[in-house]
Order: sequence, then C-alpha cells, then structure tokens
Amino acid sequence: MALLEIDRVSKHFGGVRAVHDVSFAVHEKEMVFIVGPNGAGKTTLFNLITGFVRADEGAIRYAGRDITRLTPDRAARLGIGRTFQIVKPLRNLTVEENVMLGAFQHTGRADEARRRAREVIAFLKMERWGPLPALGLPLATLKRLEIARALATRPKLMLLDEVVAGLPTGEAMALAELLARLPEWGVAAVGGVEHVMQVVMRVAHRVVVLDHGVLIAEGPPDEVVHKPEVIEAYLGAKYKERGL
Amino acid sequence: MTRRQLLLALAACAACALLPLVVQKDYQLNVLFRIFLFAALGLAWNLVGGFTGQLSLGHAAFFGIGAYGLALFHGKLGVPVWPALALAVAAAVVASVLIGGVAFRLRGPYFALATIAFAEVLRNVAKNLPDVTGGDVGVQAPPLFAGAISRSFYFAAVGLTACSLAVTAWAARSRFGYYLMAIRENEDTALSVGVNATRSKVSVLAISAALTAVGGALYASLFLYIVPDQVLAIDISNEIAIVAMLGGAGTVLGPIVGAIILETASEVFKNVFHEAHLLIYGVLILLVVLFLPEGIVGALKTLRRRRGKG
Repeated sequence: MALLEIDRVSKHFGGVRAVHDVSFAVHEKEMVFIVGPNGAGKTTLFNLITGFVRADEGAIRYAGRDITRLTPDRAARLGIGRTFQIVKPLRNLTVEENVMLGAFQHTGRADEARRRAREVIAFLKMERWGPLPALGLPLATLKRLEIARALATRPKLMLLDEVVAGLPTGEAMALAELLARLPEWGVAAVGGVEHVMQVVMRVAHRVVVLDHGVLIAEGPPDEVVHKPEVIEAYLGAKYKERGL
Repeated sequence: MTRRQLLLALAACAACALLPLVVQKDYQLNVLFRIFLFAALGLAWNLVGGFTGQLSLGHAAFFGIGAYGLALFHGKLGVPVWPALALAVAAAVVASVLIGGVAFRLRGPYFALATIAFAEVLRNVAKNLPDVTGGDVGVQAPPLFAGAISRSFYFAAVGLTACSLAVTAWAARSRFGYYLMAIRENEDTALSVGVNATRSKVSVLAISAALTAVGGALYASLFLYIVPDQVLAIDISNEIAIVAMLGGAGTVLGPIVGAIILETASEVFKNVFHEAHLLIYGVLILLVVLFLPEGIVGALKTLRRRRGKG
C-alpha cells in the first residue's frame, strides 16, 4: 500500500488551474521529487496534502486513510511534516526552541523535547546556531531550520517545498547529501524543486513533472529529464527536437 | 526554576508579607492593593496578549463579569460569597470560550476590535437591564473580608499576583507555553508542527479570563458598589493592556514592573497635578510606545543579549 496517494486532485483559484487532475503515489521511505517551473502547482499540491488548502476535486489518502479534508495541525499529528518555501521561522525563539516545537509532538517534557531537538540539530549540522534567535539568520540556515523543525515531529512523510532554492550550489549539494539520508529516519519525502536539477539527480528515487498544474511526466530521474515534453516545458518547443 | 530565582521569589513573598507592618494607613494599603491588582491583571492579560500575541482590548469583559458575578450571584440568588466568587469565575470562563470561539477566527487588528466590541456589548447590556444589574444606578457587592479590610484586600491582591505569576512562570517553560509562543510567532508554522492553534488560544484565554474575573470580584468587593461604566469600562481594558505593554509584553516579570510604575505614577500625578494627571499619563504612555516598544523588561533583555554578544 502506498504511503501517500494523490487521486485525480484538482484545485482552481478563479480561472487559474493551479493543480489539475493530478494523480501519483509515494511509498514508504521513498524520495520523490516534484519538478516544474515557477507556477507549476508544486506549492499548491503541498498545501493540499497538508490541509492548508482544500481540494476542489479528487481525494488524498495517507496510509490508507482519506485526508482530503483534514486541518493542517491534524495532518501534522498524523505524521506529515512540511517545510515552507518562504521560510517561516519562529523569529523570536532560538533555533533550538524552533526545533523543540516539532519535538513536542511526542513529548510533553521540555527537557526531553530539547534532547530530541539536539539530535535533529546535530544531524543537520547546525549545532553552532542552536542558541541563537532565528531572527536574522542567513537563508541557508533558515532553510535547514525548516527541515529540522519538520523532522523533529518524526514524520513518516515530509514535504520539502523548495528547500534548496536560493542557495549557492555548494550549500545546495551539502544539503542534498543530508536529504538523501532521510530514509534513515524512517521518512519518505516529497521534494518540490524548480530547477536545481543536480539535487534532484542526486537524491530522487522518482520524479514527477508538473507543468501549469498538469502532471506531464513521471519516472526515474535520468529518464524523465530526457522526455521531450519535459524539455519543452522547461526550455520551450524549439529545444524539443534537439534533446538535451 | 534556578536556585537564585527561587530565593528571589521567596524574598519577594516575605517582603510583600511584611509590608503591612510598615504601611498601615488605609490609603497607602489601597494604593498597594491597586498596584498588585493590576500586576495580577497585567500578568493574566500577558498570557493572551504577550505570550500568544493576541491583542485583547476587551479584558474589562472578564473583569466586569467577575465583579457583577460576585454581586449578582450573592445579592440576587443568595449564594454565599465565596461560592458566588467561584461561580463568577466560572461565568467568565464560559464567556471567554464563547468570545474566543468567535473572535479567534479573526487575526490582528480585527481580533482586537472584536474584543472591544464584546466588552462594550456587555457594558451596554449591564446598563440596560435595570431589573437584573441595577442598570446605570449599579448594584451592591458583598464584602469578602471582615475586619482589617484594607490589609485583607492587600493580601488577596498579592495572592492573586502570586497565582498569576506562577501560571506565567509555568507557561514560559512548558509545552503549552511554547505552543502559545509559536502561535504568536507564526500561526502557520505552529499548525505545521501539529499545534491545535484554536484550542490553545481558547484555553489560554479561559485561564486569563478566570484570573481577571477574580481581580474584578476583589475590586467590586473592596468598593462594595459597582456600576457598568466603572467595571466594564474600556478604560479598564486599556489599563490592563498598558500595564503589560509598559513592563514588557511576553516577558514573565514585565507586567509587575509595569503595574508598579504605572499605578504609582498615576497616583502621584493625581495628587500633584490634579486634573492634568490624565494628560501626563497619556504622554508617559506615548513615550514608552515610541521609545520602548518592547516595554521596560523587554528592552532590558535585549540590552543584556547585545552586551552578551559584544
């Protein structure tokens, strides 16, 4: 049984087809990346899965259970963690306290939450930022903080919305190495990426390509990037014949 | 709690307990009552307005329900005074759940406006139901203490402050408190880690309302007579919020510092400047908003953090 099933889901905002009739599945400990240009519908899809936005049509199932109409906090308690594309740190709390909030999902004790938070912080190699307030940290650190906070909830499924966007290549690749280790934490992850393809090639087991809200390709990363319709979506029709 | 904090707390308790040995005049004890009353109210408000970041400008609603609850449960229904106080608190909690359930659907300034509206509705209801509340004429409130009245009320206010402080200190380091701060910092983030934001907000408002209602009942019982324009007035809502913000919203000790400064200043100004005291009070608040937006304790914390870094 798939961990996550997206079943013919659509979401329209006025005349904009943000997500249109999209179906795919994610299995346990699998790394799936959704790629697509800006506006392809990746963030909307994540918002649909986590209950921040309600689907117009279709169903979303998680571990066999219909979660189409769940609220965001309940989705999180079921084991779906997420990061935000536009980082949303708890600015006046320290990095450690930010991560503790995730850890509080499984313990009511502050000292235990702190211990668990430190494990996650160590995994993401952010120890030196731990005691600092999140306010004013560099973007690379804030991107990692998004992951740390979500990972501390010990999710079974993690939705990583553009976690490497805006990072220099070296930092993006360093983060990719860590993301590739997420299955060690028992996590299946769905990443959304606009164009940092090195990261996708390094981490993804499978790739789903969205264009204007429609799923146009799906498969192993090295196959998908050579499909003509994918090249067309990214580079325009005239590159379609030439290939990459 | 560290050893040092525990010792400081014990010392503060001892000082508060011994103060009436030095201060014996009713007037002075009543000023102290007012300081501690507003310290307690400011702490109660701070749970909602400071820690959770939900700017309530309608806490007079809970204050008034406490005051009227005590007066009416005792005076109209013949409930003994202490059970009447308990019922008044329960009424405030019920009101807070109703108000919170509606107002927390709104964010930012709209929430603040909704809280003002609720308090104003209650004030007008109290004014226009003469058979129940005595209307504009008011109603008698029963005395909670007999003998050494000023001193008893002083101790009651100190006790309420200690209670509010204990709740705050617990909230500052418990999971519940972290949930509240997460909601203040970013509600979407709080939801994304599984925090039931609505339930947390309603719960904290209920705790705050209960403490505020006790304060209102104490106030009513000290003055023995209450009218809507006094205990349900928007001035009460403002004063509670200003005490907390002056001292430092979201800090543990801020509201106590705020109450000491604001209530002392307003008493001094009243005696020295007579009618001009409200003007000076207003200027003082303006200066704090302009130059100490984090409040006094908040500014000190920032200063210490910067020193620590540099």
